[in-house]
Amino acid sequence: MERKFVLAGIGGQGVIFATKVLSHAAVAHGEQVIASENHGMSQRGGSVQSHVKIGGSESPLVRRATADALIAFDRTEAMRNLTFVRSGGSVYVNSPDGLDPALLPRLSELNIHVHALDAGAYAQAAGLTGAANLIVLGFAAAHSEFGLCLDDLKQTVRTLGPAASIESNLRALDIGAAKVTSE
Amino acid sequence: MTTQLLLGNDAIALGMVQNNCRVVTAYPGTPSSEILAGVVKFKKRLNREIYTEWSANEKVAFEIALAASWSGLRAATTMKQVGLNVAADPLFSAAYTGVVGGFVIVSCDDPGPQSSQTEQDSRLLALTAKVPVFDPSTPAEALSMMQAAFELSERHRIPVIFRPTTRVCHAVQSVDVNGSTPNPLLAAKTGFQKDPQRWAATPAFRLKLHHELNAKLQAIEAEFETSPLNFINRSDAQADRTLGIIAGGVTYQVALQALSELGVSVPVLKIGTPYPLPRKKVAEFIARFDQVLVLEEPDACIELQIADRTHVTGRLDYAVPNAGELSPEVISAVLATVLKNVGVAVPPQPDDALLDSLIKSLAIAPRRPRLCPGCSHRSAFYTLKRTFGPNAIYSGDIGCYTLGTNLRAVDTCVDMGASVTMATGFAQAARLTGDKRPILATIGDSTFLHSGIVPLMNAVHTDARFVLVILDNHITAMTGMQPSPGNDYTADGDLAARVSIAETVKACGVKFLRVADPYDQTPFADLLKEADAFARSPEGSVAVIIADRPCVLYDDTPIETEPIPVVITEECDGCRYCVEAFECPALILRADKSRVDVDYSICINCGQCIDACYKGFIIPKPMLVEA
Repeated sequence: MERKFVLAGIGGQGVIFATKVLSHAAVAHGEQVIASENHGMSQRGGSVQSHVKIGGSESPLVRRATADALIAFDRTEAMRNLTFVRSGGSVYVNSPDGLDPALLPRLSELNIHVHALDAGAYAQAAGLTGAANLIVLGFAAAHSEFGLCLDDLKQTVRTLGPAASIESNLRALDIGAAKVTSE
Repeated sequence: MTTQLLLGNDAIALGMVQNNCRVVTAYPGTPSSEILAGVVKFKKRLNREIYTEWSANEKVAFEIALAASWSGLRAATTMKQVGLNVAADPLFSAAYTGVVGGFVIVSCDDPGPQSSQTEQDSRLLALTAKVPVFDPSTPAEALSMMQAAFELSERHRIPVIFRPTTRVCHAVQSVDVNGSTPNPLLAAKTGFQKDPQRWAATPAFRLKLHHELNAKLQAIEAEFETSPLNFINRSDAQADRTLGIIAGGVTYQVALQALSELGVSVPVLKIGTPYPLPRKKVAEFIARFDQVLVLEEPDACIELQIADRTHVTGRLDYAVPNAGELSPEVISAVLATVLKNVGVAVPPQPDDALLDSLIKSLAIAPRRPRLCPGCSHRSAFYTLKRTFGPNAIYSGDIGCYTLGTNLRAVDTCVDMGASVTMATGFAQAARLTGDKRPILATIGDSTFLHSGIVPLMNAVHTDARFVLVILDNHITAMTGMQPSPGNDYTADGDLAARVSIAETVKACGVKFLRVADPYDQTPFADLLKEADAFARSPEGSVAVIIADRPCVLYDDTPIETEPIPVVITEECDGCRYCVEAFECPALILRADKSRVDVDYSICINCGQCIDACYKGFIIPKPMLVEA
């Protein structure tokens, strides 16, 4: 079954790396993948967005209101890209206080589930500054409806390297996953 | 079968390596920049002897690859769509002369535009130059199509354009990398063979070559009629006659997805070779339907070649928007309208208007790209602006430093090298209008070597009076750190002769040349004043300053002096001067706008912002300790 993801953040937050982990994990699982990345100007601190489609058509872009999940590394970028999420889909967002309260009643009516965690703070506390992206990804993967399991992501992180960051990236995935039970 | 996740540009590179391409030249430009690095990666991995180079500009790249082709080798050159304009002169000529070894010109289009000054369609330039076009729709197709491109070029002895768009170049797809078998080189490996009536043709022979080119195109069109690159996505004899679609490039994939999301089944003729268009095949397809919709990017090329458009809708009758990317949302909206017009019921679009309006009401500001923390361009622009004020004329150029617009120190941006020529033009116009404002041009090192030298000679020769600041950060940064002739290494990482920008400037006849570190803001400001005074003095001329400091991303030890950590004192009143006039991403205005904080996770301790608070609230850290 086709699964569609949108990843969003700010240049430098590791949106492309998280996209890579997600895509490679799906390929390792024997799935067909097509993804779309931002390059160029957007990498100079602007909004960065990537689309990942697993097991579906060869079109690299996700149409608005059809994504199964939005994975956002920044609260504002989550809200900017919220229209990508389909009714019944999920939002995983790095934010200490979820999304703007004004949006919540409509999101609830659309059956869009918002899962927020303060990945920035957890990253800092664990001495993993710069790995907040993988904390959010681990957090998302630990939700049963996400469709890719944590172990697949961890195996991918081990394969992708670089060697020096494998341990911290694995820890980041675990920290995120552990937060699900306490949600 | 080996499945690998491949970036579209890597798929193009692998296609070149697998198909015995022996020379690849390039000038970087989004979205084409990763192709040459991919060729270097794959030639090393597969142990192939391939000459690769980052050329000084696209015309240089084109001609070097062309000579390789005339020497009997397969050759390719890669660039972005506006780069092909720079190489347009040899493109038009090479179409007439033809080639020997297969010659593939990769020109990447940028609908949107995401990172370009125009949404130009390389296919239309190809049509004007009379050069066949291959238009892949995915990374997987880009890999397999490269073989057809080289073989056609070699068979018909004609250059071909390979035209992906951003969404192919920067898509990542699981691709069967062993699917394409290396094919033998058709041309004899004999080196360049003299044939002056062709390779140095005078106008009389050019006419003959033009007839020859037209005959080639006719033969190629006939070949394209039966090419597997042009196919109907389903051979459904029972298909409804109501609507058919003709699509090419990534738009084909987006259209298929949109049709499946709408739950509608419509036959689609996929065109992989938009020029010369297989007109018979297209006409037969059109004849099967009451109406045919043409979907292509970024302009009309297929549609333009359809002679009878009575039953055709697309860009030319404004059914498809004529600017901007054909995103899934745009295509599904176009499809919904067209389907409704022909009486096919479609489900409502899935977008939730209420959620959309709620998000709009939050007025989320666009997050514009900014220069990196510690970028030396920021220091140069900030000092320029402080020295010459808001009224001076700031003539800008293409690179990271186009972002000098954010700091209001770039007023114009036309194309590569235009900072120097536009400043020259402003100076000549100012003589006539009596305009005394200072004229400041800024250009990067790679852009100066690309197309700033000839304009500088011109400025010297015509006595145009302005100050040119060459922002030398030692690398082509915007596109991902490619070397230029100003670097001492090649695309392969081997040692190379470094061309001195300073010596080049002197050789152009410039009488005022200084090299300075823009991090030393006060001396840099003094130098700018001195340069402006020289440019204005009767015995003066154009003045050049090289602002010399490496890119913070390219060189991780750019700060030769001690790091200068800063703090913002308690007195900060959130006046926003620093965040607006200096715009460092590490200076963050608090959400309640009460004060500015330093984001130490991205601050690189350059200390350049100290002067960006005119109230003196940004101070070096040790000073606070002493106090």
